Amino acid sequence: MNRSRSGPHVWMVLAAVVAIVVAACGGTTTSPSTGTAASAPASAGAVATAAPSLVAVTPKPIAAGPGPNGGKVVRWFIGLGTGGKPEQLAAEFKVADDFNASQKEIYLSVEVYDNRVAANQLQIEIAAGNPPDIIGPVGVEGLNIFRNQVLDLTELVASSKYDLSKVDPKLVEFWKMGEGSAMIGLPFATYPSFLYYNKKLFDEAKLPYPPTKVGELYQGKPWDVAAIREIGKKLTVDSKGNDATNANFDAANIVQWGFDSQWADNNPVAESTLFGAFSVVGADGETAQIPDPLKVGLQWYSDGVWKDHFIPTYAQIRSNLLGPDNEFQSGNLAMAETHSWYMCCINPAAPAKPSFTWGVAVAPAYNNTTTAKLHADTFSLLKSSKNPNEAFKALTVLVESGALLANYGAFPADKTKQQAFFETVNKQYPNVTIDWSVPQAMLSYVDIPNHQSYMPNYAKAKAALQALGNGYRTKELDIAAELEKLKTTLQGIFDE
Amino acid sequence: MTESTKALPATPSRPGPSRFVLRPSVREAIWGYVFVGPWLIGLLLFTAGPMIASFLMSLTDFDLLHADSVRFVGLDNYIQMANDPLVATSVIATFKFALITVPLTMLASLGFALLLNNRHLVGKGALRALVYMPIMIPLVAGTLVWSGFLNSQTGWLNDIIGAFGVEGPDWFNSEVWIYPALSLIGLWAIGNFMLINIAGLQAVPTELYEAARIDGAGAWTSLRRITIPLMSPILLYNLVICLIATFQYFTQVYTLTNGHGDPNNATLFINLELFREAFVFSKMGYGSAIAWLLFAIVLALTLLLFAFARKRVYYAGGDQ
Repeated sequence: MNRSRSGPHVWMVLAAVVAIVVAACGGTTTSPSTGTAASAPASAGAVATAAPSLVAVTPKPIAAGPGPNGGKVVRWFIGLGTGGKPEQLAAEFKVADDFNASQKEIYLSVEVYDNRVAANQLQIEIAAGNPPDIIGPVGVEGLNIFRNQVLDLTELVASSKYDLSKVDPKLVEFWKMGEGSAMIGLPFATYPSFLYYNKKLFDEAKLPYPPTKVGELYQGKPWDVAAIREIGKKLTVDSKGNDATNANFDAANIVQWGFDSQWADNNPVAESTLFGAFSVVGADGETAQIPDPLKVGLQWYSDGVWKDHFIPTYAQIRSNLLGPDNEFQSGNLAMAETHSWYMCCINPAAPAKPSFTWGVAVAPAYNNTTTAKLHADTFSLLKSSKNPNEAFKALTVLVESGALLANYGAFPADKTKQQAFFETVNKQYPNVTIDWSVPQAMLSYVDIPNHQSYMPNYAKAKAALQALGNGYRTKELDIAAELEKLKTTLQGIFDE
Repeated sequence: MTESTKALPATPSRPGPSRFVLRPSVREAIWGYVFVGPWLIGLLLFTAGPMIASFLMSLTDFDLLHADSVRFVGLDNYIQMANDPLVATSVIATFKFALITVPLTMLASLGFALLLNNRHLVGKGALRALVYMPIMIPLVAGTLVWSGFLNSQTGWLNDIIGAFGVEGPDWFNSEVWIYPALSLIGLWAIGNFMLINIAGLQAVPTELYEAARIDGAGAWTSLRRITIPLMSPILLYNLVICLIATFQYFTQVYTLTNGHGDPNNATLFINLELFREAFVFSKMGYGSAIAWLLFAIVLALTLLLFAFARKRVYYAGGDQ
């Protein structure tokens, strides 16, 4: 090698190597795959898993010391429930900024993650010893995953004399679902369930609209699941216009269905709550059980799908006739039992216009008992919070924020804030007259225990329930036998 | 000679700092390592490192939600895996799927390559581009489109089948028809394999075909005796890649079944099962053990293929 050129040559090569290594270490968005498969897509599809490209939506630097306003840093983690959409960020940051500007004891720092990754991200932060203080808005299911990490707020509520009289006591009770009935959240947003009905289909079938008051009769008879079945069959129509009560009804060519429990997460526990509130976990917190509402409810749904045909199958739900997968919006489902959050999604995306008007009715009863399953969002504190008192103060600000309620389209637990929410939604549906007394009434019939309440090894137990939920909508099953199998499966999962 | 050697004056030793001089072969080797260094570092940091971490994790009961109480459990995860019916189900489901989709993919990609390499074909470039294009469509979007196309109630395919008086199957809800359905979806994206096959076809010397034609060989004989043997290295490469990718199949079933593996665990492939255990149920230790099972299966199959290739694959350049 010529010595006069070797010096610069060496430095150039070393510089190139350093540049390449720095570029390689700068971060990768793709997961490594086995061997050389990374470079060749296969007929079976891409090799890497389809990870969402969004991780942190708006990561803010986590302040280690006092915040910019001199206060103790309290971290607010958003993404487990709603709140991660780009259009929701501005309101969330404004609430935090306004709070920070109004006082100097606490600095509320916001971090937002996409819902698809938020639970994982929080698990990693907890595992790494770097957890946030406040999580929310988060629903019951989100909290189940972090049940052991969430703080009991009872003492903080008592010591700060926080006023809970503005909310229904049942909702306060609802949130005492932590370990040992710990209060793991303050009532913030509720999403009661009730019946949405398609007025056009009822008019075509010449049926009166369902009742809007609990206890009201329908066609002279109680408004219960038997009535749902009866009118459901009349509202189920085949391609030739025969309804399901007609001898010529063709079950292989149904174009309109009478009823479904929509977007119940394929969970038979959620669907069967119409038949009464229950838990598949016994009082000891360890034993699997199959209570009567589940036995009766699931059989009713199964018969509704395979014998009476007024409830759609899984394949039908995914077909163009029912969305796909937005049955009530399709206009081919006469009655949908679901929550108030569904008001987000009744109208089709612009520029399409809605093809029918709709109304709301109370949930049908079973054995003279009305049960309307509830979804609810709250804000919780983590046990690992280093500043629980300050975090609780910030939490109460979030819970009482009307701006956040409007941001999330949430039905306020606070009765004094409900009217403003009604007016907001009414503007979205100028052609519909929503009887708000229905969802308000349903808040008095919430399911306690909640259909999303804790089960040991929650994610796996839920997967087992969903497997049954998918199964019975795919083919006709022996429900009693399947429930026995489910009990054994659940027990095995609980025992893990 | 000895005298002339002795007569040579001894080389005077030069004053100054002593130098450690490497042999040229060693210097060359070092430069080789320098140039391959970035890749090696990447391999260590992003592949070998995580693999070692994953193996160590598989010997613990690491759970993201209870990270502070990690315990070393030895081979417990592997023992649990051996007794877990869901893991057995996932392995069987993956093999069942592979038995259908791998041969179908190989045959279809070779078939398309032969068709699109035909000298009589007009518009080869455009047609090849059309066959290749589906690869550019994002996988999730494509899967959702296919879910509509194959829907048993309103899907176009069943409408077409129905026009012949035959009732179309319930593609996504039948434990039998789900595999052909997924294979159909996979066939949409064989463009890459097809291109590689075309490159292989074009490397076959045309004199061989001429000689075969003179000897009276027909198209089928030419295919069997000339094309396939000479393309065998390419076919082996495609087969290995296809096999590996099939065993790593995930995105389509996750999209179609929301991660449940429906119907009735028929699509609960190994990769999906490992994802559920590790990221849905938070059992990272157990998920890591399943990942190593997947690795072992794929490695074993690949080694089998290479062993098979020794006798069946023709390398024009020889075996060296």
